[in-house]
Amino acid sequence: MEQLTTIGLNHYLTISAFLLGFGLFAVVTRKNAIVILMGVELILNAANLNFLAFSKYNGGMEGVMFSLFIIVIAAAEAAIALAIIINIFKLFKSVDVSSIDSLKE
Amino acid sequence: MHSLIQLSIVVLLLPLLSFVILIFFNRKLPRRGDFVGVGILGTAFAISAYIFWQVVVQAYDPAFRIAWDFTWIDLGNVPGVGPLQIKMGVVIDNLTSIMLAMVTLISLLVHLYSTGYMAGDKNYGRYFAFLGIFTFSMLGIVLSDNLFSIYIFWELVGLSSYLLIGFFFEKQSAADAQKKAFLANRVGDIGMWLGILILYSQFHTFSFEEIYANLAAGKFGLSNAWLTAAGILLFMGCVGKSAQFPLHIWLPDAMEGPTPVSALIHAATMVAAGVYFVARIFIILTPDALHVIAFIGAFTAFMAATIAITQNDIKRVLAYSTVSQLGYMVLGLGVGAYSAALFHLVTHAFFKACLFLGSGAIIHAMHHEQDMRWMGGLRKNMPWTFATFTLATLALAGLPLTSGFLSKDAILAGAIGFANVEGGGIYYLIPVLGFFSAMLTAFYMGRQIWLVFFGESRTHLKPVEEDLHAAHHAHNSHDDHSDDHHEEHGVHEVSWNMRAPLVILATLSVFFVYSPDPLDGAKGWFMKMIPTPATVVGSDNPQIGSMSAGVADPHLAGVVAPVEAHGDAAAVGHGEATAATASHGEAKGGHSYSDPRQAEIVHAGHAAHYTAIYISSVMVVLGIGLAFIVYVFGIIDPDKTALALRPLYLFSLNKWYWDEIYEATFIKGSMAVARIFTWFDINIVDGIVNGVGTLVRKFAFLNDSFDKHVVDGAVNFTAFTVNTTGAVLRKLQTGKVQSYIVMLLLVVFGYFVFYFTRLIH
Repeated sequence: MEQLTTIGLNHYLTISAFLLGFGLFAVVTRKNAIVILMGVELILNAANLNFLAFSKYNGGMEGVMFSLFIIVIAAAEAAIALAIIINIFKLFKSVDVSSIDSLKE
Repeated sequence: MHSLIQLSIVVLLLPLLSFVILIFFNRKLPRRGDFVGVGILGTAFAISAYIFWQVVVQAYDPAFRIAWDFTWIDLGNVPGVGPLQIKMGVVIDNLTSIMLAMVTLISLLVHLYSTGYMAGDKNYGRYFAFLGIFTFSMLGIVLSDNLFSIYIFWELVGLSSYLLIGFFFEKQSAADAQKKAFLANRVGDIGMWLGILILYSQFHTFSFEEIYANLAAGKFGLSNAWLTAAGILLFMGCVGKSAQFPLHIWLPDAMEGPTPVSALIHAATMVAAGVYFVARIFIILTPDALHVIAFIGAFTAFMAATIAITQNDIKRVLAYSTVSQLGYMVLGLGVGAYSAALFHLVTHAFFKACLFLGSGAIIHAMHHEQDMRWMGGLRKNMPWTFATFTLATLALAGLPLTSGFLSKDAILAGAIGFANVEGGGIYYLIPVLGFFSAMLTAFYMGRQIWLVFFGESRTHLKPVEEDLHAAHHAHNSHDDHSDDHHEEHGVHEVSWNMRAPLVILATLSVFFVYSPDPLDGAKGWFMKMIPTPATVVGSDNPQIGSMSAGVADPHLAGVVAPVEAHGDAAAVGHGEATAATASHGEAKGGHSYSDPRQAEIVHAGHAAHYTAIYISSVMVVLGIGLAFIVYVFGIIDPDKTALALRPLYLFSLNKWYWDEIYEATFIKGSMAVARIFTWFDINIVDGIVNGVGTLVRKFAFLNDSFDKHVVDGAVNFTAFTVNTTGAVLRKLQTGKVQSYIVMLLLVVFGYFVFYFTRLIH
């Protein structure tokens, strides 16, 4: 427990920052739309982690409530995003975002 | 409105009606509607005769005058002009009613005559229409009571004269003649209009009566020289219309018109309009203006008479004779023999119309031969024409028992009286020229009568070449006439409708129509009804003023002395003459003249009556005698005389070279001026216009390039900038979600960097 209690806010924030960094990395570098979506989930969860960490060290319940909402919204977002990706796939026969640039024209 | 006024307006409008009917419907009417013209003129004459009867015979009052007018145009008070109101009106006095009757009678006779003379012409109907409008205009002049309407009708007369002179307009010579007549008349009319404007500028009225009254009241604001100028300018209208020197050149050429037209317009009525007009303005003419008028008249009378003696064309002789006689009338007005001049106007109208219609009959019978050299012996073939022509000739020559004698002698007596009163040697030139012209008149008319009617026919003497030409001409103008007769060359008396006017006009050339005394026209109704009106312009000659004081002297007034035409008459002699004439005039129960000079002249004219008769009778006998010596007895061969006096002969034959002089001066001059103007027009005016055009074009080019480069440039630059910016920015829109995210991150990162560096500082 002692060791557990020594895990402070900074650890949470560090992990959260890493999660954000991985998420961003995935979003920026991957070409597969699903992987990008997974990156987005990572970013969201990084934010969740931050909320929970700050909530714990601040003593309120607001952060918990926020993260619950974010999980719900992330589920909805994932459903919509997957639906969009399925439609894109139907249209372009691909989920490669670099090839989907018809707005440019 | 007086009933006579109403009737006179009907008379005025009837010929206009004839014109309107004939110009529009002559082709729809039987006989091309000539009966309309004759019928309407017959009605007009009947009404005029009634007016004449009422005014001259019934009223028998020298001062008879009724007038009526209405405001035609009222422009109110025009800035810079003053009140501008134009009235139209009709005046009937003795002169008007005599002129009315004369014009309608001659017009009627000419209409009647033309039904024979013009028969078969292709424009027969139009011819009568033109006669109608001419008669209308002429009656308008006669009836007008103001200068403005007289000017309108004056121009209408000019127009109808133009139309009628050029009636055979397919002939080049006729077209030229009508142009010449119109232009010569324009020159005179401009002067007349200026004269009207001078009077108008002073009195703001065109009405004769108001002008007389204003002048009599001494309201003429300018110097007397202006009044003289106004008189002479108004007289210019007469110079043009009445063919006085220097504008006489158009009248002989006007003989290109049909001969009845010559009779109506260029002998009896239109040319008399000028004299009539001067008579209307007579009392406002200053002594100086009258002197100019007298000299122009005398010179014209003499010059035209000298030309007439050598002309070969039967109508040209009569034309120059007309110019000469018009000169007499103008001379008469100039010397103050007002009644005599108007008397001569009327008598001349009748006998000259008779002569022209007679010559028309001859030309008609001779198949359009006008050259007297190839006539001769016509008295047997055409007895009626011969008799009437001879009677009219005697009247023109001024033989006793004819009307011409009465009027011409009255004028010449007036001229002598005038010269006596004026007293200067130069003034005797006027009666001398008058008498000399009388002799020439007798000579050339004797020559004409002899060449045309006596001797044997000389038709066969005519050179063949000319004959062909004449035949061709005849064919041109009157096809259906000349064809059937031309072969036999028979000359017959003309039909009744051409004979009747001759007889009527010849009857009116005898003395008893005008005066019971064959030697004295002053005893006749005419001179009594048309007395010389008292001038409203006082003479400012002190010499005459003193002489009139002599008249008033009771001692001198009783003395009666014969007046002789002596140039060196002394002052005392003048006083006696004055006294004699004064008593003479009073004895006649005549008029009193407030102006002494006018009184002198009128009375001196009466006194010189018998002198004039003696001298002119001698002159006429001399003239006729000379004609007999030359042409009847053959004592002097005319051809040899012509050869001997070749320069003089040519001078006369070529009409004093007036045409050539005008050609060399005015026509060449105006052509030169026209060329200068053309040059000016082409080089300066066009140059200016073209220069402005070029400038505008240059400016337009400048403007254009400014537009292209600056305005369009600005627009294009804006578009270009937007375009370029767009092209650059467009590169950012890759359409790749990831690049957007990178950009988003960069911006957020940039913001943090910026924000934190701010925090650090």
